[in-house]
Amino acid sequence: MTAIAVDRRQFLITTGVVAGGMALALSPAEAATTAAPPLPWAPDAAQGYEFTPWIEIAPDSTVTVRVPNPESGNGTMTQMAMNVAEELGCSWKDIRVEIASINRNYAENHVYTKGSLPFFGGHGTDKVRMAHTMRLGAAARERLKAAAAARWSVPASEITAAESMLTHAASKRSLRYGEVAAEAAKTSLLAEPELKPQAEWTLLGKASPAKLSIPAIANGTAVYGIDVKLPGMVHAALKQVPVMGGRLKSFKADAVKHMPGVRAVIAIDPANSRKSPIKDETSFGLKGTTEVQHAVAVIADHFWQAKMALEALPVEWDLGSGTHYRDQTDIYQGMRSIRDTGEGKVVLKKGDVAAASGKRVVEAEYLSPYGENAVMEPLGGTVLVTADTCEVWCATQDTMQAFWVSVDETGLAPAQVKIHGTAMGGNFGRRTQAEDIRMAVAVARQYPGVPVKTIWTREEMFRQGRYRTPISTRFRAVLDDATGLPQAVSGDLCFAGDRPLFQLTQGYADPPYFNSGAIPNVNLTTINFPVHILNGAYRGPCFNSNAFITETFIDECAYAAGIDPVQYRLSLLAKWEKPWSDVLKLAAEKAGWGQKLPRGEGLGIAITNWPMATIPHFGSTMATVARVAVSKDGTVAVKRIDIAFDCGKVANADAVRAQIEGGTLFGLNMTLNEEVTIKNGAIVEGNYDEYPMLRMGDSLPEIHIHFEALSGHDRFDLMGELPVGPIGPAVGNAIYSATGKRLRATPFRKQDLSWT
Amino acid sequence: MEEDTVDTVSFTVNGQPQRVEAYSSTPLLWVLRDHLGMTGTKYGCGIAQCGACTVHVNGEAVRSCQLPLSGLAGADVTTIEGLAAHGGETLQRLWAEMNVPQCGYCQAGMLMAAADLLKNKPKPSDADIDTAITNICRCGTYPRIRAAIKRAAGVAA
Repeated sequence: MTAIAVDRRQFLITTGVVAGGMALALSPAEAATTAAPPLPWAPDAAQGYEFTPWIEIAPDSTVTVRVPNPESGNGTMTQMAMNVAEELGCSWKDIRVEIASINRNYAENHVYTKGSLPFFGGHGTDKVRMAHTMRLGAAARERLKAAAAARWSVPASEITAAESMLTHAASKRSLRYGEVAAEAAKTSLLAEPELKPQAEWTLLGKASPAKLSIPAIANGTAVYGIDVKLPGMVHAALKQVPVMGGRLKSFKADAVKHMPGVRAVIAIDPANSRKSPIKDETSFGLKGTTEVQHAVAVIADHFWQAKMALEALPVEWDLGSGTHYRDQTDIYQGMRSIRDTGEGKVVLKKGDVAAASGKRVVEAEYLSPYGENAVMEPLGGTVLVTADTCEVWCATQDTMQAFWVSVDETGLAPAQVKIHGTAMGGNFGRRTQAEDIRMAVAVARQYPGVPVKTIWTREEMFRQGRYRTPISTRFRAVLDDATGLPQAVSGDLCFAGDRPLFQLTQGYADPPYFNSGAIPNVNLTTINFPVHILNGAYRGPCFNSNAFITETFIDECAYAAGIDPVQYRLSLLAKWEKPWSDVLKLAAEKAGWGQKLPRGEGLGIAITNWPMATIPHFGSTMATVARVAVSKDGTVAVKRIDIAFDCGKVANADAVRAQIEGGTLFGLNMTLNEEVTIKNGAIVEGNYDEYPMLRMGDSLPEIHIHFEALSGHDRFDLMGELPVGPIGPAVGNAIYSATGKRLRATPFRKQDLSWT
Repeated sequence: MEEDTVDTVSFTVNGQPQRVEAYSSTPLLWVLRDHLGMTGTKYGCGIAQCGACTVHVNGEAVRSCQLPLSGLAGADVTTIEGLAAHGGETLQRLWAEMNVPQCGYCQAGMLMAAADLLKNKPKPSDADIDTAITNICRCGTYPRIRAAIKRAAGVAA
């Protein structure tokens, strides 16, 4: 609070409620009665007939699976429940899910995060976690059998368990799971049961249940972060300093304190964070992107009142040094300059690029811009702070991060802080840092005793992002005179921003072209250009840019060599695992690669892997073929997409299909439309009218997804991030084929694609 | 803003009479969410771009972020919470069966827009769907929304 010479408390306006004097001790159970059932979060203590903190079976046989990886639309909680149900042998209709209590995780020796993860992210439901959750289901099943065996005085080995029924065939007796849940929950096993062989699976890989979250979504009862309701709750509207790193200079609370419903006008200063009393266990730390910006907030009875008062509030900012950037091109130019200093760190070196010789040299530079995750549900959270407790209801992708950020902001002991995870209106990486939750805590701390819901407006969302990392890359290849393949590739890459966490080389340094020996001489470097604008995790961080850049560059090499782009890639993949070539060939074949197309139409292809292409049989590999039509005036229509992929095996085919459809459209929008721009250090775009999003009327492509290239390798790898990689370069390469215009930057909508 | 008055307005929501006292400028969106506690209708943009706040007013789909309390006197409002009772049950069932939503945040608005479309055009063409469903879905569920609308209408996919 050094920028403001007075104690912020003088701005607290107490209308009706005495701030700090109202002891509203809300237990989760009381809170639970105030919102529409079913609540998405689990209770903070064991209840009912619990077999493990993960599994509770009710007398009516309802099976509640408590999952630490929150659902954000990709089906992670449904997948975890499928894993449990496969071994538990319950009827799928008896299954429900809750977001596991991170408080219990803390109090009960990491019971949810051991064997799993406390967040949703890549690999959250992979084979390791699958086995863990299946073991939990198997143990519960055997305990149910043991309880039935005791009741019937028969050996447990004679009892079968299926469709939530325990059956002793010889004596023709049966029981529903719920009927013995009480005894079974008290039973223990001498040894953990073996998992059944995959050939005996009935659910995984066989059935494609829809997400368990959908009925509540479709009838409006799903509880997102923004939907939490608590007795006595008030609302806060927020305005953060327009240029990141700037400070609040002053504001005139008197100008708005008489407005209807207004309770308080407060200042937020990142320096007021009280710091965690003990070492944190976060995924992303507690600095930088997870800290709040300077801000003002108005607290009122209703959100509209708070928003009206905030708009009327006179505020002065000290915008800080970020204003030095007149626009984004200043930043991109800075990136280019530092990239070309030759001082980058070598991230991949093979052979000697200087020794290569050839007549044909391909050299080009590429750029991907700032982008905003643009999740549909605004950020924020509802928080009740008292003298010695903090309770938070929020949508978070990483419950552990939200927990420790709240501990850090309040300075309370972890046992005094509770987090209740809600449904999430999209994440795509935006809900990983939890700085929005820290902000909600920081606001509520200044209005203690009353639950305060802080909501970011859409404008705050766009202008206070944790943005896609801009990447500027120069590539140079020397082609072999005989084969046309690169003898040597040099690359220099510059990231904007200075946080290593969001400077990833996937798609740049890991493609098999550069690592399998296909290109003998490789030298790739990275460097970063510090900027005040904060980067974050945007779906497939950095990979989403690197995939575009690398797969466009390889396409350029193919055309320079006069070789078909599919054949060229197959040659470059000849020394690498076969599934890559299978995926590439299948996508090309299904798309009708090689067919004669009318002028202005073209096919383009790209292939990528996430999250690590250098390890055989790891992650997921995808080839995408786009067919485009470009009118003479430069209007692009992406008519058809063909996709082949290898993630080993699939556990829920329709869930995989949904991720590929959605991820492809996400990546298409990213490529065609997305860029946030800068003016005097601040983000310009404030809403969807300035940041176009694909809609149903935008001639969306037919998407054809082909499963036949699945290798069957025994992994069930991830599909959330990957589809955003290959779509952009496939479309760009198709536009080149159609028009001869090579697109080396996104978004395409800002480039002239007209042709004659 | 300073001149904004506080009004008391009566209207019905899902058949129930309601009486709300608030700023006359308060959008129906926030009347529903904050004053009536009906949070199925979602805030997405506040400028009629995204359609997450779509409800039916007097039988027509509108973006509730643009309709102030002062214009609500006597209005008949249907929200996602009342859609099943207003002919939306088939769409809601297909939304689940066909695994349409991902994060689901936009889907209340999508369903309200789809129900309005089918009321006006029981057998919509692709062009009809394109024109009627202008809502934004960041997860990219558009292909499934189209397929579910067509199945509800009994037209070929």
